[in-house]
Amino acid sequence: MITLFHTSLLLSFGLFILPKKWMYGATLLLQTLFIFSTSIWAVQAMMSVEALIIPLGISTWSGEIILSIDKLSAFFILIIDFICLAGIIYAGGYLQPYIEKKRSVIISLHLFSFIWLNAAMVMVTAIQDGLGFLLAWELMSLTSFILVIFEGQIETTLKTGINYLLQMHFGFALIMFGFLIVNEATGEMSFGALNSYFAQHSNTIVFLTFFAGFGIKAGFMPLHTWLPKAHPAAPSHVSGVMSGVMIKMGIYGILRVTSFLQGDLKLIGTIVLVVGIVSGLVGVILAIAQHDLKRLLAYHSVENIGIIGIGIGISILGLATHDETLAVLGMAGALLHCLNHALFKSLLFFSAGNIFYATHTVNMDQLGGIVNQSRLTSIAFLVGAIAISGIPPFNGFISEFLIYSGVAHNFTHAGFGMSLAGLAAFVSLVLIGGLCIYCFTKAFGLTFLGSRRSFKLEPFRPVPWIMIAPLAMLVTAILSIGFFPAFFLTPITGALSAFGNLNHDPGIVSQTNGAFKAIGFVNVGLVACIALVYLVRVWQQRGVTVITGPTWGCGYSAGDFRHQYTPTSYADSLIGLAGPAVIFNREYRDMGEAEVFPGSRTFHTHADDRLEHSTVTKIIGLLVRYLPLAGRAQTGFIHHYLIYPVLFMVTIALLTYLNFI
Amino acid sequence: MVALLSMMLACVIFPGIIIKTKAKFSGRKGPGILQPWFDIARLLRKGSVYSTASSYIFQIGSTIYFASVVVASFFIPFDQQPALVSFPGDFVMFAYLLGLGRFFLIISALDVSSGFEGMGANREAFYSMLAEPAFFILMGSLAMYTGYTSFNDIFIHLHYQDYFSIIIAIIAGYVLANFTLVETSRLPVDDPLTHLELTMVHEVMVLDHSGFDLGLIKIANNIKFILFSTLSANCFIPQAWDFGLKIGAYLALQILFAMGIGYIESFRARNKMALNAQYILSISAISMILIFVIIILNNKI
Repeated sequence: MITLFHTSLLLSFGLFILPKKWMYGATLLLQTLFIFSTSIWAVQAMMSVEALIIPLGISTWSGEIILSIDKLSAFFILIIDFICLAGIIYAGGYLQPYIEKKRSVIISLHLFSFIWLNAAMVMVTAIQDGLGFLLAWELMSLTSFILVIFEGQIETTLKTGINYLLQMHFGFALIMFGFLIVNEATGEMSFGALNSYFAQHSNTIVFLTFFAGFGIKAGFMPLHTWLPKAHPAAPSHVSGVMSGVMIKMGIYGILRVTSFLQGDLKLIGTIVLVVGIVSGLVGVILAIAQHDLKRLLAYHSVENIGIIGIGIGISILGLATHDETLAVLGMAGALLHCLNHALFKSLLFFSAGNIFYATHTVNMDQLGGIVNQSRLTSIAFLVGAIAISGIPPFNGFISEFLIYSGVAHNFTHAGFGMSLAGLAAFVSLVLIGGLCIYCFTKAFGLTFLGSRRSFKLEPFRPVPWIMIAPLAMLVTAILSIGFFPAFFLTPITGALSAFGNLNHDPGIVSQTNGAFKAIGFVNVGLVACIALVYLVRVWQQRGVTVITGPTWGCGYSAGDFRHQYTPTSYADSLIGLAGPAVIFNREYRDMGEAEVFPGSRTFHTHADDRLEHSTVTKIIGLLVRYLPLAGRAQTGFIHHYLIYPVLFMVTIALLTYLNFI
Repeated sequence: MVALLSMMLACVIFPGIIIKTKAKFSGRKGPGILQPWFDIARLLRKGSVYSTASSYIFQIGSTIYFASVVVASFFIPFDQQPALVSFPGDFVMFAYLLGLGRFFLIISALDVSSGFEGMGANREAFYSMLAEPAFFILMGSLAMYTGYTSFNDIFIHLHYQDYFSIIIAIIAGYVLANFTLVETSRLPVDDPLTHLELTMVHEVMVLDHSGFDLGLIKIANNIKFILFSTLSANCFIPQAWDFGLKIGAYLALQILFAMGIGYIESFRARNKMALNAQYILSISAISMILIFVIIILNNKI
């Protein structure tokens, strides 16, 4: 296996010398080999009791890099490999138009980065040593940056990419800082050292440092600002993989650090819970206000990360109040939601990619009525939309149910503070669920249903099977989790065994097992019931006259597509309540007083993120304003520049003399 | 079995009683109690007209709505008769199953490319999103009070405790009754008899449904009524009574509830659209009061 691992990665450099037409095939082959080898390791690690240790044979200055795959890593590796496999298959269709247009080196760099992003993510989850971890983390950021700027000839895409790169390095610095604090205290730079560090020192500061660092990658509010920009700019197979699994690497890091927590649990749990709730609610509200489909999906990533955060936060609070059931169920819900979100979010992004491929737009103001031209894509999107709204019979419900049932169980015996925290989690989960239905009825209904909202109808380009096959893969996985949830409890329980601070009593899980079997049973019953009613309906319609006619226009018969609800009007009733989260701009010119014959007019709406405006934009505004002051030192005279080192040396000498350093 | 039969009986007479009450208050004789069901039976025999803009979503939407309400009814216990399906936390799945039905009803409304139905779809999604927390806070507080998290156990243990359960039953019943009005689109949130499409919520969503599909939607709405009113009846009827008395009390409560709705619809005007959000949120606020009452009763502060 290790040879396969090395071979596939080394051979990936050969992509640069291959001719264009073989490039994709070679990538598919290499990536499948890589995925095969790492998945085998992950399955082995799942089966065994001990962590799987694989020396890579490459050394850094802190020693050899060793892959150490425990059950938590194995869980994430399986998610990464599955989504990346779907992604690279999907790329085969999506890249087709670009392969002819773009230069060979751009294509090969893109495909090369795709393989290496997969490899970097696997290494991030498998390396326990701090330095190796940071290297893998950096590799992940760089490769994803290259993937985002695939269409770098567009100025906004390039700008977005650079914004992404900068934010990732800010996160990198925070994570490195966290490791350095631990290194300073324990003399060791690794995740394992956190255990002894947390036993002796205050947990809050180091946890929050890591939480902020990993939170930028994960997209917790208010560190989410790169997400809604980068996902729409990237090609769909990349945004599917980035949103599906790469942001989960941030969650992985937070989970890894959480697994060693020992003190200050109440404070830490409350902070994570509040951040989760804010991300969840504000994320989905902002999503509703969008009319770019991919941007809408990107905000939903923030929302789902929020749900995962609620699970983690409530679980830490469960630890703090010695409620083992809540701790286990909350964490299990968070873990399962990582898997679920990876599945349905990449499904939705790939479907959005299909729409872009077919119509050249993802602007919902110009879409509508494409359901009959792309039935398979519409079914895939519908499955994803129902799953992401957390509605049975699909998988999103299963993980949200775990968190719900943990909180509900906690209600039966919780104290005052914990009741309030539970209530907050409960209400926000319900609201997120309701808002999700609101948002995805909009996304599905206005994109696929009704009639096309545009005068200029470009011909609909049929979607090739290679862009449908990965959707089928993901839908199958979603269905299997929805209908056989009890089966997936085993890997979750395995992954939970990496948490030193959780109770591993099998009784807690077996109680959920019963509920899961009942849910699976109800889901099957639901489908059977639907099928039965549908058969009766088919039988009834055979005996009666069934005709088609125009839509009832309430007496007005000259209506056309312009009378439909638009994304903006659909969101309008919420916008009134969402003032604290959304800045909603309407741009239009009023009718002049003397304007007897009105000319043509335009109306433009744009939803802005109030949280972004009051945090990131403000800080950047301050920097832009005051940093030029430092520019005054750059006078252009060489004798000024010679004075600076002299001043520096004098300062050092003075400080040393006065015993400051 | 008797319990199930009495639930079905209540379901049959419920819509008729509402209409009868309204007729009496406005001085008319009114149709017979079973007239709504005769109407539905006629719809089920009729042919259908489909919009040219509609797709397969429209064909399956009403079916899924109906099936999800039927499956959700398996979760409702009555008296000590356990529900068909019961597990810890089952009320979450109950609410989300209704969510599935709503999802499909909304997208079928969007499927016909009509501005009016888009408006109804939008309102339905918005109002139910606002109403949902009330139900969850209510169930959470009952779980807190009884110490159990499934419908069955909650309602069995609700009355075994002291007489405080009367206060709780009254607040819970009030919240559930209001929640029912929102969920089933009755006054004061939505006027089912209005003739103006601009002010409709639920009715405008089903403008283009006809025949069998419309029949399914109407049956599902009637079942939905009974689901929630059975839940609120469960809050009131003590377990200690003997069986016949309980059945009698249950039916009496159902009739009372139906007459109450008829009374409200006769004497109240519909809310202004803009005020609906406030009204629906106030239901959640009342269930918040319930949870704090229980926190105090359980000596948690």
